[in-house]
Amino acid sequence: MVKFTRLALAVLSGLIATPALAQEAPTLKVYTYDGFAAEWGPGPSLKAGFEAICGGCKVEFIAADSSIGTLRRVQLEGDTTEADLIVGLDTAIAGEARATGLFAEHNFYFDNLTLPTGWTDKAFVPFDYAHFAFVYDTDAVANPPKSFEELIAMPDDFKIVVQDPRSATPGLGLVLWIAAAYGDRAPEIWAGLKPHILTVTREWSESYNLFLEGEADMALSYTTSPAYHIVEEDDTTIKAALFEEGHLAQTEVAGVLKSSKHQELAFQFLDYLTSADAQKVIPTTNWMFPVIDLGADLNPAFAALPQPAKTLTLTDAEIEANSQAWIDEMLAAVQ
Amino acid sequence: MTQLTLPHRPLRIAAATTLALAIATLIALVLWAIFAAATSAEGSASRIDIAHLLRMTSIQAGLTTILSLAVGMALAWALNRLRFPGRDLLVGLFASAIVTPGMVVAFGLLSIWGRNGWLNQASEALFGFPLGNPAFGLSGILFAHVILDGAFAARIMLARLDAIPANRLKTGQSLALNAWQRFSIIDWPALRGTLPGLAAIIFLLAFTSFPIVLLLGGGPANQTLEVAIFAAVRQDFDLAGAVRLALTQIAVCSLIILAASALTPVPTSFGASTVSRWRDSTITRGLQWLTLGLCTVGFILPLLSVLIDGLSTGIAPLLARSAFWWAALSSLVIGTASALLTLALALLLALGRGATGSGALRILLGIPAFAYLAVPAVVLSLGFFLLVRSLGASPATAAPYVVILGNSLLALPFAMATLGPPLEAIARTRGKLIRSLGLSGWRQFIAIEYPLLGKDIGVMLALAFCFSLGDLGVIALFGTQDFQTLPLMMFRALGAYRGNDAAAIAAILLLGTIVAFIGLPRLFERIANAAR
Repeated sequence: MVKFTRLALAVLSGLIATPALAQEAPTLKVYTYDGFAAEWGPGPSLKAGFEAICGGCKVEFIAADSSIGTLRRVQLEGDTTEADLIVGLDTAIAGEARATGLFAEHNFYFDNLTLPTGWTDKAFVPFDYAHFAFVYDTDAVANPPKSFEELIAMPDDFKIVVQDPRSATPGLGLVLWIAAAYGDRAPEIWAGLKPHILTVTREWSESYNLFLEGEADMALSYTTSPAYHIVEEDDTTIKAALFEEGHLAQTEVAGVLKSSKHQELAFQFLDYLTSADAQKVIPTTNWMFPVIDLGADLNPAFAALPQPAKTLTLTDAEIEANSQAWIDEMLAAVQ
Repeated sequence: MTQLTLPHRPLRIAAATTLALAIATLIALVLWAIFAAATSAEGSASRIDIAHLLRMTSIQAGLTTILSLAVGMALAWALNRLRFPGRDLLVGLFASAIVTPGMVVAFGLLSIWGRNGWLNQASEALFGFPLGNPAFGLSGILFAHVILDGAFAARIMLARLDAIPANRLKTGQSLALNAWQRFSIIDWPALRGTLPGLAAIIFLLAFTSFPIVLLLGGGPANQTLEVAIFAAVRQDFDLAGAVRLALTQIAVCSLIILAASALTPVPTSFGASTVSRWRDSTITRGLQWLTLGLCTVGFILPLLSVLIDGLSTGIAPLLARSAFWWAALSSLVIGTASALLTLALALLLALGRGATGSGALRILLGIPAFAYLAVPAVVLSLGFFLLVRSLGASPATAAPYVVILGNSLLALPFAMATLGPPLEAIARTRGKLIRSLGLSGWRQFIAIEYPLLGKDIGVMLALAFCFSLGDLGVIALFGTQDFQTLPLMMFRALGAYRGNDAAAIAAILLLGTIVAFIGLPRLFERIANAAR
């Protein structure tokens, strides 16, 4: 009988202790894309860094196959989503994400950002950026084109690989880039590019590997891609071609969900994400520029990267109103 | 007429019918779940020229099917006749193509045939000019598909040829049949039964092909309905539109499936796999070596280049990482579980199909096996995701089970193509004997069917295991940071500039596949023979 009482007490105290413990150690569930959560991505360092300062919380990454996949998943789950925040949307789909009404507003003021454009968004917080650009290998291409028009004028066996705007964010970025640079002339540019397009891949990774294998002369990627090869492979032959008409930047953002039970903590995570500690991790794991000035902490390979003279911009409203039509124009032109 | 010769097996028929209905229900539920989730009934769908897509896709899939069957038959013929050291290894390599992730094959293909590939480099070194680049556009798609599907067709047909009883060959040889007569009198009847099923599978695979078509197709001109569905789900978030497109695809594919299911496989006799030799003329022999040589260059070199690339660069650092071993373990467990589940499902369906003489029921039991091929992967993944959530489960908890089930269903048509024809042949050729002996269904299986099926079961398990090993479609919505399989890890590496890691994982996947294809059929033949 004594045994039974002790057992019952142990069980009861266990039952009581569990919820209490759960409250003491909340788990922050972060939806993100594969590459971010991967062991060589920024995820593991950021998790360790935030868990060290949040007072006993846990961070769990739930990785979808792409950044747009994280948004679709939250849209499917609606109010019942277990996600507290999404890390890794970009500015091309931020407007659509905001329109879902699922994201909570933050009270952050950004006066220290080094973004090429300012930041006023109340739903999303930027954490890295890079300009879209075509990369080439200096061993194979001595005189890279300096504009879309020069690219179009190259011989037909000069091949580029791009991504499908319906499945890859850089693919969508290129559509927006050409629209921002050329407006109504965009279909004409696409038609000019058509003979040079070796193939349109679903993901960025496929294009980039075709380029690395020597199948194409240039691949649509980022101005920061060369940094990977410099830092990890000590290879300085990969460069980004800078275009005179200017470049569109992809800014990656994070946002907290209204339905989150740990909103306070989630905003703390966003605060951490834009802090110097977290920003130091980003460049050499996600291979994008930090959004704040890291000074000497920025890897020299990044500091030395040539930057476009001109940054093109599109407003959320323009993107939301026109992206569908622009994608259709692109598909019609290259078909 | 067959009703009289077939043993009375109501239980088998009932079990197969129940299973067929369950699979059909599952697919209906998946589509319903997406429809129910479609918040906006009026999407921006139908921007897609469906007629154009259907036309392009049908041409591509039709050509793929014809080429794959022709190449597969020639290869099976050559492999069946020739004996040489390393034959099992070569057969394993050929068989592994079908289950290798499409992207791995595509990149292997490019490293041989691409602009910067071995052939162009060799040509430049030897003759001073490159050969050009046939690896993109329609020719590229066909090439990659024939490598994937032709080798699979060859493997299935080789199993049929290897199973031709020795005494029949002896009789044929004593009648001095020439190579063509042997083919038309002995081989063709053995092969014929597998053709409709194989053709249907290959057509469906090519019809719904996605990553290869996008990578090698060149642009939106060469696309499939599957791509349009992916765009509807991903880009437009037009779920109702996606279901409508999916139903279009299912409708088209169902015509193929119905046609394939309606045809009755031709009876074939079975014995243990023989190594009996057939004395061919020197010219025929030369033709066989030529066929084998060409196929080896076309099929094996791309895979070989994957192995060389992967094993020469990133292998050591990869093996040192615990994440790799966890992913490998996940892949192994999931692959084994889904292979066993596939075996159970395929046996239930195939035994039921073999036991009935009714044509309508045979069609009914054939459809669910193929149905899964017709349903777009993105739709299935999405539907499963929604179903799991509506059951109140967490996707992370359900992930392994869903992946196992999904992979099993994906492998089911291949399993049915492997086990179906021999089982039906047994039912037809030995039905009278079984009736006269008064064997129970269980005794029939243990004493007659199982021993004859040993090698086929091994082939089927290898297929299902490797399918699961290479799968990326089902896991897409369910993966988490902690739950990853080797293909998922490979794609994560590719997406983070880590081409060396990806190449090493691809090589390991390929090695695992080859080992499974060589080992499992042998193992099961031995077990089944021991049971006799």
